[in-house]
Amino acid sequence: MGTTKKYWKGLEDLNNDPAFIKSAQSEFAEEIPMEQFLSNDSLEETSTPRRDFLKFLGFSVTAASLAACQTPVSRVIPYVIKPEEITVGVSNWYATAFYDGHDFCNVLVKTREGRPIKIEGNKLSSITQGGTNSRVQASVLSLYDNERANGPKEKGAPTTWEDADKKIIAQLDSIAAAGGAIALLSSSIISPSTQQIITDFSAKYKNVKHVTYDAVSYSGIIEANKQSFAKAVVPVYNFENAKVIVSFACDFLTNWVSPIETARQYAKNRKVSDENKTMSKHYQFESNLSLTGSNADERIGIKPSQMGAALISLYNKVSGSSLSTKQLEFDSHITAAAKELVAAKGKSLVVCGSNDPAIQLIVNAINNTLGNYGATIDIDNANRTHQGNDADVMALAADMKAGKIGALLMYNVNPVYSLPASLGFEEGMKKTALTVSFNDREDETGSLATFLLPDHHYLESWGDAMPRNGVYSLIQPTIFPIFNTRSAQESLMKWTGIAGDYQAYVKANWEKNIFPMQTSEVLFENNWMKSLHDGGIEFSMTPAVAPTFAGDAAAAAALIMQSAAKAGSFEITLYEKTPIGNGNQANNPWLQEVPDPVSKVVWDNYITMSPKQMKELGFETFQEQRAMADVVEVTVNGVTLRAPVFPQPGQVYGTVGLALGYGRTKAGKCGNIGSNAYSFVGNTNGTLSYTSFDAKIGASVDKYSLASTQTHHTLMGRNMVKEASLAEYIKDSKAGNEREMFKVKEGHEHIEKSAEELDLWATKDYPKQPTTDLKWSMSIDLNSCIGCGNCVVSCSAENNVPVVGKDQVSKTREMHWIRIDRYYTSDMTKAKAAEEGKGKIDMFTAMEIPSDNPKVVFQPVMCQHCDHAPCETVCPVLATTHSSEGLNQMTYNRCLGTKYCANNCPYKVRRFNWYRYTNDKDFDFNLTNDLGRMVLNPDVSVRSRGVMEKCSMCVQRIQEGKLAAKKDGRRINDGEIQTACAQSCPTNAIVFGNIFDENSQVAKNSKDERMYHMLEEIDVQPSIFYLTKIRNTEEKEA
Amino acid sequence: MIKLKTVRFSLSILLFSLIVNFSSAFAQASAEQGEKIFKQNCTSCHSIGTTKVVGPGLKDVMKRVPSEEWLKTWIKNSSAVIKSGDAYAKKIYEENNKAAMSSFDNLKDDQLASLIEYIKNPPAPKQAATATGGAAGTSSAASNEDGIWNYVLLALAAIFIILIVVLGGIKETLARLVRERDGLPEPVKLATVPAAKHWMRTHKKHMAVIILFLVSWGSRAAWNGMMDLGVYTGYKPEQPIKFSHKIHAGQNAINCVYCHSGVEKSKVANVPSANVCMNCHKYIQEGPNTGKTEIAKIYAALDYNPTTQVYGPNQKPIKWVRVHTLPDIVYFNHSQHVVVGKIECTKCHGPVAEMDTIRQYSPLTMGWCVNCHRETEVQMAGNPYYDKLHAKLASEHKGEKITVDKMGGIECGKCHY
Repeated sequence: MGTTKKYWKGLEDLNNDPAFIKSAQSEFAEEIPMEQFLSNDSLEETSTPRRDFLKFLGFSVTAASLAACQTPVSRVIPYVIKPEEITVGVSNWYATAFYDGHDFCNVLVKTREGRPIKIEGNKLSSITQGGTNSRVQASVLSLYDNERANGPKEKGAPTTWEDADKKIIAQLDSIAAAGGAIALLSSSIISPSTQQIITDFSAKYKNVKHVTYDAVSYSGIIEANKQSFAKAVVPVYNFENAKVIVSFACDFLTNWVSPIETARQYAKNRKVSDENKTMSKHYQFESNLSLTGSNADERIGIKPSQMGAALISLYNKVSGSSLSTKQLEFDSHITAAAKELVAAKGKSLVVCGSNDPAIQLIVNAINNTLGNYGATIDIDNANRTHQGNDADVMALAADMKAGKIGALLMYNVNPVYSLPASLGFEEGMKKTALTVSFNDREDETGSLATFLLPDHHYLESWGDAMPRNGVYSLIQPTIFPIFNTRSAQESLMKWTGIAGDYQAYVKANWEKNIFPMQTSEVLFENNWMKSLHDGGIEFSMTPAVAPTFAGDAAAAAALIMQSAAKAGSFEITLYEKTPIGNGNQANNPWLQEVPDPVSKVVWDNYITMSPKQMKELGFETFQEQRAMADVVEVTVNGVTLRAPVFPQPGQVYGTVGLALGYGRTKAGKCGNIGSNAYSFVGNTNGTLSYTSFDAKIGASVDKYSLASTQTHHTLMGRNMVKEASLAEYIKDSKAGNEREMFKVKEGHEHIEKSAEELDLWATKDYPKQPTTDLKWSMSIDLNSCIGCGNCVVSCSAENNVPVVGKDQVSKTREMHWIRIDRYYTSDMTKAKAAEEGKGKIDMFTAMEIPSDNPKVVFQPVMCQHCDHAPCETVCPVLATTHSSEGLNQMTYNRCLGTKYCANNCPYKVRRFNWYRYTNDKDFDFNLTNDLGRMVLNPDVSVRSRGVMEKCSMCVQRIQEGKLAAKKDGRRINDGEIQTACAQSCPTNAIVFGNIFDENSQVAKNSKDERMYHMLEEIDVQPSIFYLTKIRNTEEKEA
Repeated sequence: MIKLKTVRFSLSILLFSLIVNFSSAFAQASAEQGEKIFKQNCTSCHSIGTTKVVGPGLKDVMKRVPSEEWLKTWIKNSSAVIKSGDAYAKKIYEENNKAAMSSFDNLKDDQLASLIEYIKNPPAPKQAATATGGAAGTSSAASNEDGIWNYVLLALAAIFIILIVVLGGIKETLARLVRERDGLPEPVKLATVPAAKHWMRTHKKHMAVIILFLVSWGSRAAWNGMMDLGVYTGYKPEQPIKFSHKIHAGQNAINCVYCHSGVEKSKVANVPSANVCMNCHKYIQEGPNTGKTEIAKIYAALDYNPTTQVYGPNQKPIKWVRVHTLPDIVYFNHSQHVVVGKIECTKCHGPVAEMDTIRQYSPLTMGWCVNCHRETEVQMAGNPYYDKLHAKLASEHKGEKITVDKMGGIECGKCHY
């Protein structure tokens, strides 16, 4: 029986309008003007009638097919004279060192046919021990930046080196003759040779002032150490020996002092196993949710203005003294931290990110009371990577403004960008007769200098480095200089009148000063070659001793309490983002595209604010893709900037954060984004200050779109990440890692079965893979992973992953093969909902909202290489298949882009090439220019538009490693083959290997009680497994 | 009688000529040995002509040296001769920048004799014509053979055509005769095209067969054509330098790896750089065929001055035309096949030692790769890498040989990544 209901389209239909009926019967509602078209006289006059058209068509098809049949002539051009060490198609590795005035890292550089293409850590280095960070990884792309200056410039016009030298020497001579002052403003100099050249230069020109300036200053620590121990240095911190770490707004895992080293040392104390169930305890007191705070066992939100009081309070509790402080609402946490610190005397560490010498003095006093000097802090062997002196910089700026400086040479600094405008550096430069910048491009400072004499990139230069006592590293070029550049040292040598080139100078210096210190080699040449090969030479450091503390804690405390009294409505903390750092590599698209580890936002900086406060102020908190954020005006120290507001759970109410390193104006096409937070930098107790107690936030003035790679922030009761507290773990190794069981009806009984027993694939057609003696597998220890994102850059570099830009990221089209999921805990749990009698919808809605001070977990996710891969079964063209070694293979030339696989992937790790990123002008990053393409790995295909791609487990490295073993006629050694992510991980959280090899680390990890597979309830049998996160707390973890 | 005389006469001539031939053949053999010794030991410093390499050119050396015996002692141990205070020896030493000649006391007397024989009477440079004749000999013979068959076919076709024409004529004549005999009228003569159309209409079955044949032949040709798209077997482009593998790899038997040094180390075999050519061509400045002009191109690339023996600054790489090309999507590793798989170069590259101009011998298609991987047994013996794998695969595939595909050698991810 049919329905009697009738639906009508409109009133015309209902009324049976004749015109409507007529039009309803014809195919097109609008009348087609066919008559008019056919009667068009001009059609007959057209120069290509139909017959001719067909003839042309026929001809062109034939011509095209004939042309297609011809062999395309390609050329093969060998070297004229091949360098002996190069075999075409085989990588050469060179040891060198990265130091940009911010990070120091001993690295190995992989070169192919003379092009550096990948950076790896150097395992022989005692400092970094094979680790890197994202900035070091990405530095190879900065080499191929086509916006670098292509030669020396005088007032913006190209000049020659000879001409520039002549003019500069003449001017320097006349200044020196007139008794004028010459200033050399540089980043921290850790190179003994450069130091020597500067000394010689100063001797020649008499009145030379060498001012050291770090864009992000550590002057406060240096000044405090000067007052406390008469040693104006940044000490070496040893987190490895620290069982209790109390950190005050110190992002030591990724940005502070020596982050690569610190991350490794920190993670070493976080690695637990069935045999060793101990780990360090980490308290973090901070206002912004930093990466370090995200990893802390206890994170306590404090305002920047409370930091001094909190430290004084901690000092009182540790030492038993009673300096005046104020009552704090989180005092119980300080008491708890103090108790643990005292219990771990000599095995603890208190660190602080403040640049206020008074605050750092209190920190010194605490560490001194705890007996940490000589144990976890080594002040005798200084960390030479940060030597900047803010007072000198400010004095220099004042002198320049007063016209007292005749010439200013600037090496590896960008003060016009990174000094607050209030210091008037730019104005001072205009009053200085001769200004010379050695920067690599016409950046903010370089474009204003009289002479821009571009320095080599570090991969093009010779050099040496002494990051700390007893550690000497060599820097050697891995490529001939791309542009017409010259090392700054060579310029200084020319002006000083030192003959020869810098390479010879470094070598001579090494022979004179470093060679005599060693005894293993008799001939210098042998020692030199060995040092070049190893990346340097290391001697045992002088053992640290506990120094005598001579600081005046009471005076410092008084000073602190005085300045903290000025707190206003909002307090701001300027911080560094893990990928961008101080902003010197801002024009590096790899770094811009790596999401901030905590906020997951790319390509921008923004005001981080507590979501609760944002709601109160009426700002948009909806964090969905392409949702527009409110732009506000922020005023600090009389400077006003505009920035979008981003809801950051964990941000303390009443505080905001803004990242440094953005707002460049002349960095290049990628770097000129965001707002310059350096303009907010103030002056506290004689040093540059990165916090302000009085920030003003205005109302929304505009809307702005922020792109982020993650829009769901909580686990919502699911168990992708499993975690337990240390207390639970000690009781039961399987804590937090319970297998999920399913109730099934068998006969008349309900029984519980595991997912594996209910396997959909458990038939003969799907045998347990693989069939060879190899099964590549990976273990990821969530307890060691700090979420820094180094692996993301490393993977991009190794696998030619394209940069897609902010707009595409906001459309969820980022191409990274590995992502790091970050989850916040929510106040709502299943147990709580049951208790409160909440319905499911209410519960899940509440679960979506992160806590005010959430616990954070990081989980790296890449293709899980499932043995029962859902993607493989849905591909209509067999473009994704399983290998006999357990790899899920992706064959680009077979893929026709149905995206079924991405749809069916439970882990959402497949990436689709929506565009041809290599030659589309909308993606004007490194891949669209010849220079930028130099970084491509020739062993990995560059994917074209319309194909799917994903993590291949670095199959090119697997094949290379297997071949090496086959050629040598031996088994593959464990650890010999490393994926890019595993190799560069500073904390060794990722372990890769053959799980069939019982002695391999990955096989051992797979037997750990903490081992679990992500989404094991769907039983796709991934080759990648995780180890439960353990937090050093008493309470029960979700 | 007369006959007998002539026979005797001719016999004696024959005998005489044999003896002459034999003795000259002996001298030839000795000089050949000398040439071999010369090439092994002397070419790196001496030319047989007048050009100075490291030491002086050896043309007319016998006229310059005091005696043949002196020369022999000199060759065996030149520094001893110089020390003995011999005037000529000292003169030579001074003239050649006091570069002492290596001693060759390992040479036996007969070897020395044949060497001097060779230096005295070096064979005249081979005429270009004879050499090319020799080189082209086999190929022209081959093409001749093909030619003969073509002629045979052509001749047969001509005979058939003549037969058809003659038979047609006979048929026509017979028909006319019949018509004349029966007094029938002359049939209407149709033009060729209408006649063909008429025939088609009246012979529908024949037409069907012909059309069927044409369609199937056409589609087969189209299919083959499409399968051959991008397959360049036999591709033999002209190279910027007429380098002959036949001379280098064939006649001079230079090992492939000497020039293609990457083949055991790298994924690519390497087209040798010009300085590798110079290892020999510093001394061998002329070749038998077009050698002089072609070797000069190497010198031009290196901006090499044969007199001063130094490379100049204006170096230009040689732009060879690439013959063997795989798509970028394919990862192929020479060292894997040559070192681990122990595959001979000729298996894929064909008889290179017989090619004057290199040509692509194999189709280099994926089907060709996969077929080989299905047929080739893995060289597992004596390679500890394969110990475990061999045990595993041997138990799985009892009695079968373990080919590359059995250990995953035809999986996508082995070549495409």
